[in-house]
Amino acid sequence: MMLVGFAMVFAVNAHQAAAQTAQEIVTASDRVRNPTEPFRSTLVLTEYVSGQERSHSAFVLFSKPDASARFANLLEYVEPPRDAGKRVLLDGRSFWFYDPASKTSVRISAQQRLVGQAAIGDVLSVNLAADYSATLAGTETIDDAARQKRNTWHLELKAATETAVYNRVEYWVEHGTFHPVKGKFYSDSGRLLKIIYYRAFSDRLGAQRPSEAVIIDAVDSSLATIAAFSDSRFQDVPDAWFQRDYLPRLQVR
Amino acid sequence: MKWTVAWLACLGLASTAIAADEDKDLDLIPRAEPAAKPAAAAQPPGSLARIYVENALMFNTLRNDLLVPAPPPLPPHWEERLFGDARVEWPLGPNAIVAYSGRLNVVTSDDIGFPSRENVTHDLRELHLSVEPRPRDYLDLGRINVKSGVALGFNPTDFFKARAVVDPLTADPSVLRENRLGTLMVRGQHVGDGGSVSLVYAPKVTDPAPVGADPDRGFSPLFGRTNASNRWLVKGSARLRDDISPELLLFGENGHTKIGANFTESVGQSTVAYVEWAGGRQLGIIDQALAFGRQTGTIPDSAPSVIDQGSREQFRNQAAIGASYTTENKITFNLEYHYNGAGLSGDDWNRWFSAGEGQSASSPIARQLWYVRAYAAERQEPLQRHAVFLRMDWVDFLVPKLELTGFALADIRDGSTLLQLSADYAASDFWSVGVLAAATTGGRRSNFGSLPQESTILLKVQRYF
Repeated sequence: MMLVGFAMVFAVNAHQAAAQTAQEIVTASDRVRNPTEPFRSTLVLTEYVSGQERSHSAFVLFSKPDASARFANLLEYVEPPRDAGKRVLLDGRSFWFYDPASKTSVRISAQQRLVGQAAIGDVLSVNLAADYSATLAGTETIDDAARQKRNTWHLELKAATETAVYNRVEYWVEHGTFHPVKGKFYSDSGRLLKIIYYRAFSDRLGAQRPSEAVIIDAVDSSLATIAAFSDSRFQDVPDAWFQRDYLPRLQVR
Repeated sequence: MKWTVAWLACLGLASTAIAADEDKDLDLIPRAEPAAKPAAAAQPPGSLARIYVENALMFNTLRNDLLVPAPPPLPPHWEERLFGDARVEWPLGPNAIVAYSGRLNVVTSDDIGFPSRENVTHDLRELHLSVEPRPRDYLDLGRINVKSGVALGFNPTDFFKARAVVDPLTADPSVLRENRLGTLMVRGQHVGDGGSVSLVYAPKVTDPAPVGADPDRGFSPLFGRTNASNRWLVKGSARLRDDISPELLLFGENGHTKIGANFTESVGQSTVAYVEWAGGRQLGIIDQALAFGRQTGTIPDSAPSVIDQGSREQFRNQAAIGASYTTENKITFNLEYHYNGAGLSGDDWNRWFSAGEGQSASSPIARQLWYVRAYAAERQEPLQRHAVFLRMDWVDFLVPKLELTGFALADIRDGSTLLQLSADYAASDFWSVGVLAAATTGGRRSNFGSLPQESTILLKVQRYF
């Protein structure tokens, strides 16, 4: 009897999934993570080694979606003191790193944006539906970061554009709310690089959105980062900000 | 129907098994909640500041079998330097800032006694006012560091680099820019949606300071290094596509004009290719040096040229062509080819060594030969005509927050090299420690093998505020 009941739940879930394509689920989940208007936010990263707090970073982040729902991101390091004033521009295929110490902007590759302090590329505004093609792998009940059961769609995302950060993503989205629960991010070689849990849903930028992401380094699983958003607000951001020559001019006030 | 239900049930069980596997990931979530948020993050700053104190202890090993002996002063055998370094911006209302960037040094070495007037120096890198009268139109006035270029090891388009670096603690060309003097100038810039344009005028305010000597340095702004001629620069970039925005430059100094260009392109996920080029009419580097030496009185007018290239002023190219590649293991490599059309040819090198071989270090001949090299070094112009530069940056090497950086600069003509390896560990949000080792290799008749400095070890500790 229990088996039949479980099967019935599965059948209902399968029906729901059929009513909405995998791509639509990812799009709906993107809208939970990010608004459709330009905004700024403060982002604090706490890095852990073997469960012990190791260091902090803080940024002010400006994000703006284009017509195809891809975000351009501009951020400035606020902390730690040794990095204060460093800036990063990520716009499509164009990534620049500006260091106020050398007063130079260096172009970085898509791979390089995932390197170094806080793996900047993981915490920026990214709409997965714009860069990945999704298929439904199944429905699953998994624990979220707070170990609460969530009924989810398990989606398989394959990179569909050059601007996709990862080659492949496994993505779990909660039924009904479209809240992202978890993602697993893989390299070109198929290596699992990151596991991200989305948590602390709260009212932010006009909707219930995750205000924290737990980023686990799958290559060295003793490393983890908690990214917390705060002070989020809508703000118009001119297109001119998203170019190399504006980086030295950015004033975060 | 029965089989269908059983099949769905099996799928459901499989799904549960997978989910159970997923739950293991939960154990990797840190249990401790983050401590109090960093103070600066809670409230975006009105002013921007990066302030730190560093103590650097350096040991040099010198060659004692130089084919062309180097005249004094030679690099010290040891040097102890304590300095405070600050970069601060203060807002003056919504559309203006004042920026200061500088370093206060306390130095002693086996060449500098303690205490003495030479122990304390201040490097005024920048002090300027920037206003934004209209959105994204800027006017800057004061001492400003204007830097250009996309390559790491050699920047032909970095026209204001000449003589701007003082007391370098590293030979890494990509780090040398961090402690260099700005130029007194006025600059206008417009940043638009499709690109930007800058106009710079830097006036002559004093006569040029002789190479290798900064008399009464102390707290002097050293304008004799940075503002000893009238210079101007026009720089523009255009966003042709979201990932292509070439930059063109036009630079003038004392009636001579140079043009330059910078171009970068992303190639796949891991590679960025770049080209930097500049060209203009100029003499060879030896003849430039001798002319400058006579202009500043270091080389007497009556003294014959021990070595000259007999070069004509002609259009000469300089270029850096390279690419960066980042691995999944967090290592970034930069490989570059450098060309300096004003550099020394093989014949020039042969004459340099032949003229100086057997001379004493204090002889006028040796002094003139080494003056050429000092001139090129101060101007950050490579002496060699062709070089290969390889740089590696390994983030989180062995342990998190340990960064390993190394580079090799090789003169293609003679195979001699300048090598450096450094490790920096961010022990906390505020403390860093580091060690650096550098060496020059090559035969006695080679570019880097003929330098007096054979190897260097540097230990440093930094405290940020």
